[in-house]
Parts: sequence; structure tokens; C-alpha cells
Amino acid sequence: MDFRWDLIAEYAPFFLKGTLLTIGLSIVSILIGTVLGLLIGLGKMMKRKLLALPFKWYINFFRGTPLMVQILLVHFGLVPLFLGTTNAIVAAILALSLNSAAYIAEIFRAGIQSIDKGQVEAARSLGMTHVQAMRYVILPQAFKRMIPPLGNEFVVLIKDSSLAALIAAPELMYWGRAMQGQYMRAWEPYLTSAAIYLVLTLSLSFLLSRLERRLATE
Amino acid sequence: MIEVKQLKKIFGTNEVLKEINVTVKPQEVVVVIGPSGSGKSTFLRCINMLETITAGHVLIEGIDITDKKTDINKVRTEVGMVFQQFNLFPHKTVIENIMLAPVKVRKVPAEKARAKGLELLRKVGLESKAEVYPDSLSGGQKQRVAIARALAMEPKIMLFDEPTSALDPEMVGEVLEVMKQLAKEGMTMVVVTHEMGFAREVGDRVLFMDGGIIVEEGEPKELFENPKEERTKSFLSKVL
Repeated sequence: MDFRWDLIAEYAPFFLKGTLLTIGLSIVSILIGTVLGLLIGLGKMMKRKLLALPFKWYINFFRGTPLMVQILLVHFGLVPLFLGTTNAIVAAILALSLNSAAYIAEIFRAGIQSIDKGQVEAARSLGMTHVQAMRYVILPQAFKRMIPPLGNEFVVLIKDSSLAALIAAPELMYWGRAMQGQYMRAWEPYLTSAAIYLVLTLSLSFLLSRLERRLATE
Repeated sequence: MIEVKQLKKIFGTNEVLKEINVTVKPQEVVVVIGPSGSGKSTFLRCINMLETITAGHVLIEGIDITDKKTDINKVRTEVGMVFQQFNLFPHKTVIENIMLAPVKVRKVPAEKARAKGLELLRKVGLESKAEVYPDSLSGGQKQRVAIARALAMEPKIMLFDEPTSALDPEMVGEVLEVMKQLAKEGMTMVVVTHEMGFAREVGDRVLFMDGGIIVEEGEPKELFENPKEERTKSFLSKVL
């Protein structure tokens, strides 16, 4: 088997373009998913069961159905409903955000509930409102504990963004498949894609472990 | 200053407080003793509504905190609390622990809050620890910081929930010393404790609780030396 480096070099500009879109999709989806996940996590923790129910079912739905189905639903159903026509990048971001929000909501909930009850009590006894106690006392501590599972989720999201190739969002995997179609080669496009994904996920893990060390209080 | 009227607390089917009536006067130090499970901690936690109150009334400086219209957060700023497990905020340094509530709740400028915090740390003998995180402190030091944190809100009343029960024996003294000093300065205090020596020396009045009621109350000397109730006698014979 000869490995055609020259083909990869030829295709490099497309891989670069795809990688940039993959990074963009991932960052935007992580940001939206995190904010949405926090709200849904807090929603699910509401004391009134009836109010918490929609949040619970949101999580059930997005965790219990395949991401691929969700991407297709958003791409061919949801986005046209609002924009009139569909847009692969918007659909990919929306599907990835909605999906990761369900997982991130559970990460937030676990993080918040892992903080000792005495912390809220101390904050409230000082006259803080529930919101202030959450914001200044509980969430900063919970966030620290959430970094490892959040890191996992972000890594999953970067990898899952490759499913956007299905709806022809021109991200990394899309160009990998296009290259395979053009040259009828398997190893060059897919190993290149794999290597780039690996670099992306490893960089993210590295950044998160640095963040974790910076937040250490001992 | 504090009026507790017919206070009742029920957890599920467990009646923890049956009917508590207590009045605490300004500058008074009331010490609550009793076996575990007697409801003394629950009683203390009802005074600042950390526990919901099943029935009855608690008035802080004439304000009924069981009234739904009362802003409980405002009342709590006047009632400091010290916990058995310290409950310092581990993600904040000692001085940040102390400054947080004055800055966020009372809207004191940060510089002023810091100066006040350092002054309080000096008072509890921990000025040198201002910039460290609570994890590096001993239990006694943590509890002294917790007291300083509560005092930073300039409360009119201080509640202590077994403040020395989680401490190694050699650290109990340093915490009690700070509390004694506070009592001397005229702070109104309600202290739940197992430290009978402290109760006797510092308390103006001792309440003995058992089974969700106040079995007996009186001046420390009287209660410790001439208990009237059988239950008080048998409890004291075990702890003294």
C-alpha cells in the first residue's frame, strides 16, 4: 500500500476550511449548550414537580434519541419552519446545542447537588438571596467539580459535529468524504480527518486540565 | 429581642419541637443544652428560618419572621450564625469569605469591607491568615474565621450551633475564648453547646431541652447545682 501524501497536500486547503468550521461549530454549540444546559438543569431541580416536568422530558428526549435523528429533524423540519428554507450550518449548531444541553443539564445538576447543604445555609444565614447564594457560593464550587465531566461532553461534541457532514455542512468530515469520493482513496482522507479530530480533542483536554489546576485552592 | 411563641416543628411524622416559648433580652447570653435529638439545633435553626416553622411565631426585634410578608433575607442580616461544620466557602480566601456578604448584601464598598474584615480577623487572632484558603486552616482557626464572617454583617444577634463539637479538644478553648469576648462586649447570643463550663461561666440563662420541649430553665448556677426536674438531673449527672 502506498500512502499518497501528495493528495493530502493537495487537499490541505479544504481540510483547513473544514477544520475551521468544525472548531466554529463546536465552540458556538458548546457555548449555547452550556447556557441552555444550566437553565435546563436549574429547571429540572425546581421543587414543584409540575414545573420541572418539561425540563425532565427535554432531557429524556435529547438523551434518549439518536443525535443523527435530531440533526435530520432540525435540518429538514425545524429550521425550514422558522427560516422558510434550511441552512446546514444553522441546523448543525442548533442540533448540537440542543443535544449537548441535555447532557450538560445533568452535569450541572450533579455538580450543584454535590455541594454540601451547609454552604447554602451559610450563605443564606448571611442574608444572601437564593440567587446570590447560587451565584457566589454554589455555582463557582460546582463549576470546579463539573470541569472533568464537562470536558468529556465537549470532547464528545467535537466528535459528534462530524455528523453534520450528513446534511452537507462543509466541516472537517464533509471534506474527508468529498476527498474519498474524488480520489477513491480510503486511508488518506479518513486518517487525516482522524488526526485532526485527535489534535482538536487533545488540545481541549489540555486546556481544561490547566483550568482545573488554576482553580485549585490547596 | 427574640420572642419565640408556641413554636412547633414537625419533620414528616416526627414532632421535633412540641411547644417552645422563649424570650431573649438584648445583651443576654442564652445557652441551650440537652441530649442529642432533643431538638435544640432545630430550635436554633428556626430562629433564622433555616428550618421552615410548622406552627407558632418567632419575632426578631418585633418582626414576625413567620409572616409571609417579612423579607427574611433582611432579618437574617441582623442574625449571625455559626455552624458546627464551619461552612466556610472553600473557593474563597479567608478575607474573601468575610467580605462576600457585606459587599454583596449590604453593598459596602470592597475597600471598606476589607478593612473591617482585617479588623475582625485581628480580633479573632488570625490577621496573618487573611489571604489563605480555608482548607489550610485548623478546625479552631476555621471556626474563628466563621465567627468573624458572621460578625462582618454587624448582626445584633449571634446564633451558635454546637460551635466546638467538630473540633479537636485542644482547639475548643480558642473558639470559646472568642465567644466569651463577644459576650463581654454585650452581644445577644443563643448558644447550643455541650460545653458545660462555658454555659456556667458565660451564660446568663441556661435552657435544658429534651424531647422537643424546654424541660427546665434558669440561671446557670441554679440549674447546674439545684436542678428541679428528674430529667435535668439525670442528664447533668452524665455530662458533668
